[in-house]
Amino acid sequence: MAIRVPKKTMLLLTAAALVWIALPVVVRSTQQRGQAPINPASGTAARAVTAANAFLATLTEAERAKAAFPFDSPQKTNWSNLPSPMYPRHSLKLGDLTPPKRDAVMALMAVVLSREGYQKALDIMNGDEVLKNNQGGKGGGPQFGLSEYFIAILGTPSATTPWMVQFGGHHLALNITIVGASNVLTPSLPAAQPATYTLNGQSIRPLGDENDKGFALINALDAGQQAKAILASRVTDLVLGPTQDGKVIQPEGLLASAMTAAQQNMLIDLAHEWVGILNDEGAGSKMAEIRANLAKTYFAWSGPTTSGSVAYFRIQGPTVVIEYAPQKTVDHIHTIYRDPTNDYGAGLIKR
Amino acid sequence: MNGRPGRALVGLAVVCLGLAAPLRAHRVDEYLQAARVSIAADRVSVELDLTPGVAIAPSILAMIDTDGNGDISAAESDTYARGVIDGLVMTVDGRPIRPRLDRRQMPEWRDAKEGTGVIRLLASVTLPVLTEGSHQLFLGNTHRADIGVYLANAMVPADRRIEITGQRRDVAQHELTIDYALARATDGPAVSVWQATAGILIVTALGVVVLRRRGGL
Repeated sequence: MAIRVPKKTMLLLTAAALVWIALPVVVRSTQQRGQAPINPASGTAARAVTAANAFLATLTEAERAKAAFPFDSPQKTNWSNLPSPMYPRHSLKLGDLTPPKRDAVMALMAVVLSREGYQKALDIMNGDEVLKNNQGGKGGGPQFGLSEYFIAILGTPSATTPWMVQFGGHHLALNITIVGASNVLTPSLPAAQPATYTLNGQSIRPLGDENDKGFALINALDAGQQAKAILASRVTDLVLGPTQDGKVIQPEGLLASAMTAAQQNMLIDLAHEWVGILNDEGAGSKMAEIRANLAKTYFAWSGPTTSGSVAYFRIQGPTVVIEYAPQKTVDHIHTIYRDPTNDYGAGLIKR
Repeated sequence: MNGRPGRALVGLAVVCLGLAAPLRAHRVDEYLQAARVSIAADRVSVELDLTPGVAIAPSILAMIDTDGNGDISAAESDTYARGVIDGLVMTVDGRPIRPRLDRRQMPEWRDAKEGTGVIRLLASVTLPVLTEGSHQLFLGNTHRADIGVYLANAMVPADRRIEITGQRRDVAQHELTIDYALARATDGPAVSVWQATAGILIVTALGVVVLRRRGGL
């Protein structure tokens, strides 16, 4: 006896099987990242498109050729903590722009960054201007200063397709990848030298909160927790600095699951110093992800625990790596902020 | 708008310089040596990035440029790179293993002299057959210990059979001991229950179609 299986039933059966195969992968991915699927740009992402187009519209043909790159251009990974003459950046230099064009750059940065993040970037850049003028201190010179920062737009500013704003120079690398309504800041490198300076009579510490909150957290741990958090070795530099894209080191230190609720909040607050450089929408979704993965997040420390000492620390979870690394002195700090699953928006683009 | 210019870019003419310590933009008198170790069931790879600071770069370049002609030839690069790798001390469970240089990338001479060039080496070694359970890998690097500063880290293993259970180092990170567990090899690729069920479903559906066409059903 023949069993008749209609064509439509066969198609449905096959579709159901394919869904069955894909479902656990999708569920796992959503659970880990804790983010919604891609939506067309709205809010900040939409304003970023407008601001980027406004900036591009101010440029001459020659300037635009220096500022605009394909999204998958090698320029994407062309960033560094080093000053520009030592590390050629190939993008558009602020020093080559008229004041209105510079204003358009900074207006774009004001959109893609938070208020605090924008201020942090300015403080880092102003610090470099201090460094430039400090001829007596052996560190200065024309390769430093406000004019030596660069802007690039990778891809076409769009509500639906991926694009990127890359801004940086000495001690600053900000890579903001925007995919629809979502955006990420990883990888980015905020650094500072001098770490403390005076501007208009006001003492400025571009990474002061990062330093203070790090020391506050290590000193909030009890002896048993510190024994796990503090590494026996000296960490003299960033482990996952520039050129280390895609690499994931074995996490070490104290798991956040072994912290009290108050200590966990301090850890989250510390991580926010980097995450919160990004606009509030992007940072909000990233912080939710960090909170969701908190139990699998480590805090490691190297060096003395007395505030003001030269000490390194690292926060590492499934979707975040943050390193804070003084360069032999507390007046010269390098830091890095990465997401091993989403640097340059790779995770957003996959979804 | 999220952000606004706060302490503006303008007004730097009134910046007060209250800086006492000498300032430098990057590493000066040290030879940074960063090792990253990747462990698989049958193999260990070591990435080694060497960055001589600007003040000691000439002496490192002189070590490499053995004929002193101011240029680094491929042969000179190979000799230096092999020397560095041969100088590594590695053991697994206390037994010596000898990594071999797989790849090397030398910086531009100009970059190296400015203290920004990175010498990138990749070496690997096949491990003896190891039983399931706990193992210990040791890496020692004392290349140019007079000026060297070291970083040594295990990478998260790509091989699912490997689980890193601990890392221990000396203070200077000359030495890294990695404790790890090797799990039993599975027969064939891992298949989830979901995938197995879906596979059976597809095969059954195809079977029905084929039998129907042949008039068997």
